[in-house]
Amino acid sequence: MTMGAIEGVDLTRAFGGFTALKSVSISIPEGEIRGLIGPNGAGKSTLIDVLSGRAIKWSGQVKLFGEDVSSLSPARRRCVGLARSFQRTNIFPDLTVIDQLDIAARRAEQPNVSEILRELDLKRHAKRRAADISYGDQRRLDLGLALIGRPRVLLLDEPAAGLTVQESMDLAALLRDLATRWRVTVLLVEHDMDVVFGICDRLTVLHLGRVLAEGTPDEVKRIPEVITAYLGDAA
Amino acid sequence: MTELAVTNTELHDGIPSTLVTRGLLAITPIGLCAGVVLSHLVSSNLLLSLMTQAVIGAILSTGVGVLYRQNGVVSFGHAAFYGSAAYIVGLATRHGVASIEATIILALVLPTLAAFLLGLVIVRVPGTAFAMLTIAIGQALFEFANKARDITGGDEGFRIEFPATIFGTPTSVFQKPGTMFLLCWAVLVLILCALHVFSRSPFGRLTVAIRENQERAQFIGYTTLIPRAMTYALSALIGAVAGVLAMLYNGFVSPDSLHVSVSSDALIMAVIGGLKFVWGPAAGAVVFFFVKEIAGDVTEHWPAILGIIVIVTSLWLRGGLAGALTSAAGFLRHRLSGTEP
Repeated sequence: MTMGAIEGVDLTRAFGGFTALKSVSISIPEGEIRGLIGPNGAGKSTLIDVLSGRAIKWSGQVKLFGEDVSSLSPARRRCVGLARSFQRTNIFPDLTVIDQLDIAARRAEQPNVSEILRELDLKRHAKRRAADISYGDQRRLDLGLALIGRPRVLLLDEPAAGLTVQESMDLAALLRDLATRWRVTVLLVEHDMDVVFGICDRLTVLHLGRVLAEGTPDEVKRIPEVITAYLGDAA
Repeated sequence: MTELAVTNTELHDGIPSTLVTRGLLAITPIGLCAGVVLSHLVSSNLLLSLMTQAVIGAILSTGVGVLYRQNGVVSFGHAAFYGSAAYIVGLATRHGVASIEATIILALVLPTLAAFLLGLVIVRVPGTAFAMLTIAIGQALFEFANKARDITGGDEGFRIEFPATIFGTPTSVFQKPGTMFLLCWAVLVLILCALHVFSRSPFGRLTVAIRENQERAQFIGYTTLIPRAMTYALSALIGAVAGVLAMLYNGFVSPDSLHVSVSSDALIMAVIGGLKFVWGPAAGAVVFFFVKEIAGDVTEHWPAILGIIVIVTSLWLRGGLAGALTSAAGFLRHRLSGTEP
């Protein structure tokens, strides 16, 4: 088995009596876009929280390009190339778009502020307060904060949530394009199946805190347990 | 740094940094000159003394303001730094520990260092709990100063015997209202200019980002504890500066300088003046002292009048006096230029 860009080994996370992740292992090769799908409560966001360092009190091991980063804080993980976005827009509302990208760029080895503004079509909003731009632009800014410095691994938690169909498709195309050009490894949690099947190389299906299936989108679509547990008519 | 990032460092709210620098270079001497003019316009020593106290209060409330603006938390315990700075000079002078100059420097360094170390613990807690902790710390020091009579002189405090000169300047300069007003004014102007530069610096913007969204700041690669503790230390340093100036002017120190009322007065000044503006708390201090003085001559219930001002400010002038003046200036500018506000 080749070394994954990011690997989670035997990850378990419990909230009181409820175990959200039960010995989950996942390995994503460099440059791959991996979709993480499953019904609500399957443990998708919890897995991203564990991988990114947001979660506390979990067991297992997280590796980034073979290096154990389990004990690193979110800030340290970011500095070694692991970035993430959030389910809910997580920006700095009172700062201008360019100010917050600039602040993020100061921690990056490759401060690519102008590139992010151009790629995410945020240039026209550069001098505006983040609170004053549209929701779709805020979502792109959230993604931009994660993409500053061209991270090696990007964890995206429902980046298309709340976007229109057209905005979702544009975002999917942009993600595919950036991941290919910048060779970023992506783990994507998303409920929009058009986005997931449109850009993901492989899918991991979580159900009740366990990995139910893994494979290419076409393979996963045909697995009866996946259809029953999650996809239904979408398959 | 990329082309656009460089452009950003050269622009502040759309104003080129060269203009900001030139503006500061122009405003600082104007601000300093205004103090000289003010001190010459006022002949009454009583009024000059009141103005000196107001400016010292303005410095203390500016310290409270910077903590709110950059860290988003409210301190009810800044008297701890104000009073302890005064006590450090007083006690060191009383026991002949070191020269007055060295103790003054120590009085600025120790509270700042203590605030940084304390900050590493208390800035972790959210708003209300933080405020409660600052009260507890301030009152603990107040009680110590009150009860440790052998060391502090207890509730009566003690007079400080100064040498003939301090930093080569005759001590009388620090104790005459006219000259002390000028010194305090100059210190205030320099602090305001320094804070203006600080708030626009990369570190200043980072602390605002942490205030806005600490979690996101961590996920873009920042450890947030140290910047927050440093901001707390900066605000403590400003409080200590006010304490040293008050001690030099009064030549006396007592537990009153550590009391929670000193902290709450500073907070009220900051609220009246406007916490979101660098110069807001200083403006609030001027209002506070003059209302206290004028209304105090009319009625013993002057705090009620101050209370009404705080209520009006909180309900209808959310940006405080500074916010209202800034809005009015913006409105006038647009009216004069014939553009829409």
